[in-house]
Amino acid sequence: MSTSTIDPSLRHQRREQALMTLLAAPAVLVIAALVVIPVGWLAAQSIYDNGFTLEHYRRIFTEEVYWRSFALTFRIALMVTLLTLLLGYPVAYAAAHAKRPWNVLILACVMLPFWTSVLVRAYAWLVLLQRTGVANQLLERFGLITEPLAMVHNELGTVIATVHILLPFMVLPLYSTMQKIPRELMLAGASLGGGPLYSFRRIFLPLSLPGVVAGLTLVFVLTLGFYITPELLGGGRTIMISMVVSRNVELYNQWGAASAVGVVLLICVLAIFAAVGRIIPLDKMLGQK
Amino acid sequence: MAKSLNFRTTCAVAGFSLAALGSASAAEQIMFVSQGGAYQKAQTIAILDPSAKKLGITINQDSVPDAWPIMRSQVASGKPTWDVVDVATNFCLRGGEQGIVEKLDFSKIPNAAAMPAEYRSDYSVAYEFYSSVLGYNLKKFPDAASAPKSWADFWDVKKFPGRRSLRNHPLATLEAALMADGVAADKLYPLDVDRAFKKLEEVKPNITVWWTSGAQSAQLLNDGEVDMVMAWNGRISALAKEGAKVTYTYNQGILQSTSLCVLKGAPNLPTAIKFLNEAVDPVHQANLPLHIDYGPANPKAYDTKVISEARVKELPSAPENAKVQALMSYAWWTSPAGEAAEKRWLQFMQK
Amino acid sequence: MKTTLLPRLAFGLLVGLILIYLMLPVLIIVPMSFSSTRFLTFPPPALSLRWYQEYFGNPNWMQGTRMSLMLGVLTVLIATPLGTAAAYAISNAQNRLMRSLHMVLMLPLIVPIIIVAIGIFFVYAKLGLIQTLTGLVLANVMLGLPYVITSVVAGLQSFDKTQEMVARSLGMNRLRAFLTVTLPQIKASVFAGAVFAFISAIDETIIALFVSGGQYQTLTKRMFTALRDEIDPTIASISTLLTAASFLLVLLAMSGQKKEA
Repeated sequence: MSTSTIDPSLRHQRREQALMTLLAAPAVLVIAALVVIPVGWLAAQSIYDNGFTLEHYRRIFTEEVYWRSFALTFRIALMVTLLTLLLGYPVAYAAAHAKRPWNVLILACVMLPFWTSVLVRAYAWLVLLQRTGVANQLLERFGLITEPLAMVHNELGTVIATVHILLPFMVLPLYSTMQKIPRELMLAGASLGGGPLYSFRRIFLPLSLPGVVAGLTLVFVLTLGFYITPELLGGGRTIMISMVVSRNVELYNQWGAASAVGVVLLICVLAIFAAVGRIIPLDKMLGQK
Repeated sequence: MAKSLNFRTTCAVAGFSLAALGSASAAEQIMFVSQGGAYQKAQTIAILDPSAKKLGITINQDSVPDAWPIMRSQVASGKPTWDVVDVATNFCLRGGEQGIVEKLDFSKIPNAAAMPAEYRSDYSVAYEFYSSVLGYNLKKFPDAASAPKSWADFWDVKKFPGRRSLRNHPLATLEAALMADGVAADKLYPLDVDRAFKKLEEVKPNITVWWTSGAQSAQLLNDGEVDMVMAWNGRISALAKEGAKVTYTYNQGILQSTSLCVLKGAPNLPTAIKFLNEAVDPVHQANLPLHIDYGPANPKAYDTKVISEARVKELPSAPENAKVQALMSYAWWTSPAGEAAEKRWLQFMQK
Repeated sequence: MKTTLLPRLAFGLLVGLILIYLMLPVLIIVPMSFSSTRFLTFPPPALSLRWYQEYFGNPNWMQGTRMSLMLGVLTVLIATPLGTAAAYAISNAQNRLMRSLHMVLMLPLIVPIIIVAIGIFFVYAKLGLIQTLTGLVLANVMLGLPYVITSVVAGLQSFDKTQEMVARSLGMNRLRAFLTVTLPQIKASVFAGAVFAFISAIDETIIALFVSGGQYQTLTKRMFTALRDEIDPTIASISTLLTAASFLLVLLAMSGQKKEA
């Protein structure tokens, strides 16, 4: 009925698009105001200190305090990521293949600690792993050690607790990928004469790779930003990047330095997501969280 | 431009009126901020409640373990909500330098004016004393003769084997290192920072934990995670009272203080000044050690006879104990050299 | 498929050990919360309800709890409609703009929290939003949005959109069609998203460390500062209660989703 010269379906499409943008607008505004603007402000601050300067960035790459911390953080992130994969893969496999109620039980074991305060879990590890703690007492009783092991107040303690916190982020994407792998494929592999290990290696493993990549990425990136766990379990020596950022702000009021460190960290994170995003769509990766 | 500024102030006002809603009252009042826990409870009984009663004011309390960044952001916002803050003295001095705390007029604070000059500054009045002392486990060192007694002993890992812990902070730690290296307690300042860090490097491999909070230092000693520790005297005596086999020596302790200071532009400035005077009143001050193991800042408290002879002997600021300790110079720590030393700490920790 | 018994047993044992590692902290936190001593020790020398009494009897803990609950509720009330609207837009408009907006909406999950925290601290200091309820709620809405959006987008994916079309062709306006036809069918996803946003707000610590204070201190912030002062089993009892409550909420959300599927 329209007398307009524009194709009505096109007009409808435009109106639809405008409406959808409008619906998303409030949420986008919140994110813009609380993530984009603050982070942008930090970025601006990192290069502006009474005039344009790259001094703060120069310091990150020349001063030991900063690059040591970056190196330590990446080393811990790498260890944590590999360990979560080693521990997470069998668990996800078991959860995907076990029958009810075992699979539910396994997933519950994975999720329950997820809802326990990170803060309190750190103290639980202290009690478990310290010199006079449960772990050392047991090891001594079984005669496995003669001297208590230093499992906490160091990098090891930080890694044990961090792996624990991030394991669900590895198990869940793995599980949801493995669940979708048709069992018939494995049977087909077996019927072709390969043993179970053969069909696992040639069929199951490659098909589970998207989950592996998603889990690795999530865990690696989340470890980069860890704060509370190294603070409480690192014995004061394990200084990760987040701690350098907060110390620069709280103790020394050095916003420029803190901002620059934050920006470098953020660039690392975004670069990792961008690289992995070429293999797996980002929303899929995050959706499994 | 003017418009955007206006919008900003409107936002700020909206924020603050929301914050103020809960505490509207006609009587004179102040917001007093200290560090919480047993310490804040003790001063509430000994000092805050009696002062409020005597002055007829309401003292609202808040507690923050690290008040410094908040002090700064409050003043920067242009409308602080805190009046009086009880923090480690160096923060009051630094606040004075950076225009974050009010300059005090001591003619309005006669109780403080009567205190020794080194206990106050243009911006602060000492409030209580504590000491960073050498504490140890009695199970590990059962008889007094073979127990560590000085920082030199703490550093001597051959003669005194065992696991050690120091505070993850340069204040008092550098002083201890210098005393371990043979510097006399009264000849510490200005600190020889290079020498101190060199001495710390020596003991570093034997430090199991660098603690960051008082609670942590106590937990470490109690659990037997470490055998000796530099900790605040009140922390170790509290453990001993709970029945833990631990003790400490005041010998070569580093005597430190917290001070009261008033935030720049405090909402209740005149009342805050009145409270400052009352808080260092000798009798209130004398009451503090009856509730916690920290010493009064006003020496006149020892003349009030409120504190028993036996109790006096246990307090860090008692004349007998003060003699064997080093008095921390907060003026040095807030000097450029002191601030540089503080920044060097992070680098030292990472190596 | 035949697998020999031994490797299967070994595999089961391995998985069992990993699950024990996962459960270990929870398994010792619960007994420690009933401890009779002032210190965090395991096993506790004797049992008591002392630390639960300490929690329920201390006005500071109760204030923190009320604050956190209020924060959680306000966060959910704001994040749920905003997130649902955004999710609806995302799944309806499959264009480039919306895809990039979707990315933007996921930013709170990507950007390391410490960076967001100091950025917000800085901006709030300028606006006078530090130590205000408004500031805390806004920050937690931001953190909760990705959860709501992810959950609702997933729900809408399995929903047959033609149903809403039909309702509209029958003369309902868009909003009514959504409310009466679509929403009832995705309500479990919306509920799950809301639960996640709620728990995220209750558990959030790092932003609260920077921007909450005074009368607006969250429970987690109080826990963090209390632990600097005294390490005692109160935190174990709070944590036990929180874990139990979160788990119940999650079970509720999951059972709702099951029914939908």
